[in-house]
Amino acid sequence: MDFLYSYIVLAAIYVLLGLSTNLLVGIAGIFSVSQAAVFGVGAYLVAHFMMAADPLSFLPSLAIAAACCIALNILVTLPSLRVSGDYFVVTSFGIQLLATAVFTNWAQGTGGANGLPGIPPPDVFGLPIETTAQYMLLCAATSALGCLCFFLIMRAPFGRLLRAIREDETAVAAAGKNVLRAKVSAAALAGAFAGTAGGLYATFLSFIDPSSFDLDASILLLTMVVVGGARTLAGSIIGPFLLLALPQVLTLVEIPTTIAAAARQLIYGVLLIVFMLFRPQGLAGERL
Amino acid sequence: MTAYLQVTRLDHRFGGLHALQDCSFTIAQGRVTCLVGPNGAGKTTIFNVITGFLQPDEGSVAFRDRALDRLRPQAIVRAGIARTFQNLRLFTDLTALDNVMIGIAGQFGEEPVGAIFRPLHTARAQMRRRREALATLDHVGLADRANEVVRNLSYGEQKLLTVARVLATGAELLLLDEPASGLSAGALDAVMALLRRLQDEGKTLLVVEHNTRVVQQIADEVLFLHQGHLMAQGTPERIISDPALAEIYFGGAL
Repeated sequence: MDFLYSYIVLAAIYVLLGLSTNLLVGIAGIFSVSQAAVFGVGAYLVAHFMMAADPLSFLPSLAIAAACCIALNILVTLPSLRVSGDYFVVTSFGIQLLATAVFTNWAQGTGGANGLPGIPPPDVFGLPIETTAQYMLLCAATSALGCLCFFLIMRAPFGRLLRAIREDETAVAAAGKNVLRAKVSAAALAGAFAGTAGGLYATFLSFIDPSSFDLDASILLLTMVVVGGARTLAGSIIGPFLLLALPQVLTLVEIPTTIAAAARQLIYGVLLIVFMLFRPQGLAGERL
Repeated sequence: MTAYLQVTRLDHRFGGLHALQDCSFTIAQGRVTCLVGPNGAGKTTIFNVITGFLQPDEGSVAFRDRALDRLRPQAIVRAGIARTFQNLRLFTDLTALDNVMIGIAGQFGEEPVGAIFRPLHTARAQMRRRREALATLDHVGLADRANEVVRNLSYGEQKLLTVARVLATGAELLLLDEPASGLSAGALDAVMALLRRLQDEGKTLLVVEHNTRVVQQIADEVLFLHQGHLMAQGTPERIISDPALAEIYFGGAL
């Protein structure tokens, strides 16, 4: 049972990340390949505050981390206001590499490549979260809240504005709307989602290392959005649940554990290509 | 009398191309002014300058005695000037209604905080805006196409929709870039009728148009532009019957 709960915890965390990525890439058309970096900053910050000499409890740590990730995501998205489309992908790629380098080499802050062990479990208003079942409830509730936010903005004028920006920024400005403000708002919201996901992730695993927040992780997020379906709530939920089930399915197939990780990466790559070619709208989305 | 729109000594170069040269003119309120001239005369460049998409090297634009210099495009729309584009620039994945609603100013829930924390208020406000947008669509004759995705609309319908989108902004001065080009006879009649209705309602129109028949029918005043410079200004009859201008416009006899 714990196994199933763990799967749901991770899937719920990745749903938040899927919402974050979908909001930027799918809806606003800001093609970010560095969402895992923001996820990582959220995770490291929560770990840092909870393990400090004078530790903070979980919720304040999470709130500060989310606020920092909002600021950070606005900062890393700002180049998209200057450079458009393809150029931003390259910029964003650089930001992701930069983040990985910091996570790996800043030994004092992040534990470097060895990672950061011993992150304490969270508590919510004095209630300690210790069993996997409790974690599952916490993560499912948080990601349900994230989904509700996503649903509300998509049916509000803000959602329409972002979709319009994805199509034609010039026309949006000509219609009297502030493109800059809308993009910054979208980046802030995506940052809050990714930072929150990071905090949940760090406390659930109690150990984090740079490999969870590298370029592969960012590409996994993109794959989730592409396979699940861009621009829809359902797509942001289906993608993570499906792709996180994949490693479990692979364990049923007789392949040596030494190549399991490589095989997974291979399958993600193939999925990305196949969906882009034959079903660009994903399972439950619209064309990217 | 102070001018409604005053364009003063605009000058702009794109590299070696002198797109606007000491270009000045005024536009009177409630009138239809057509901007004509051969290709490359600077007509669209003037639109880009007036609407804030291009900062001129020299010169200034004033609307109702207020200088528009260095205002962002969205600020100029709020000041009361909105434009269409020659290549339409509609949001083709959105419905006709959504395209119009993008143009409506000051909507509640246009930023995430309001949308998330006051969802009911957002929904109610949206319903009112939706009715406004439907009325605007009805005004241009597209009410029955409201929920159609734009890429499924005909070219003529898309042209009408661009006008609906600028109308939704509430602007009083509408800059229309070739509203009649590329249309079938039926669609052309619909656009012409719409332009006349807008004029009757007190809108001021500045229209770039190539079709001399259209210009004769709608224009109160014609501005003739050549090589970024205002060559002549007058009634359509006077401009069209001027042999020197016709020579420039249609090219010399071969």
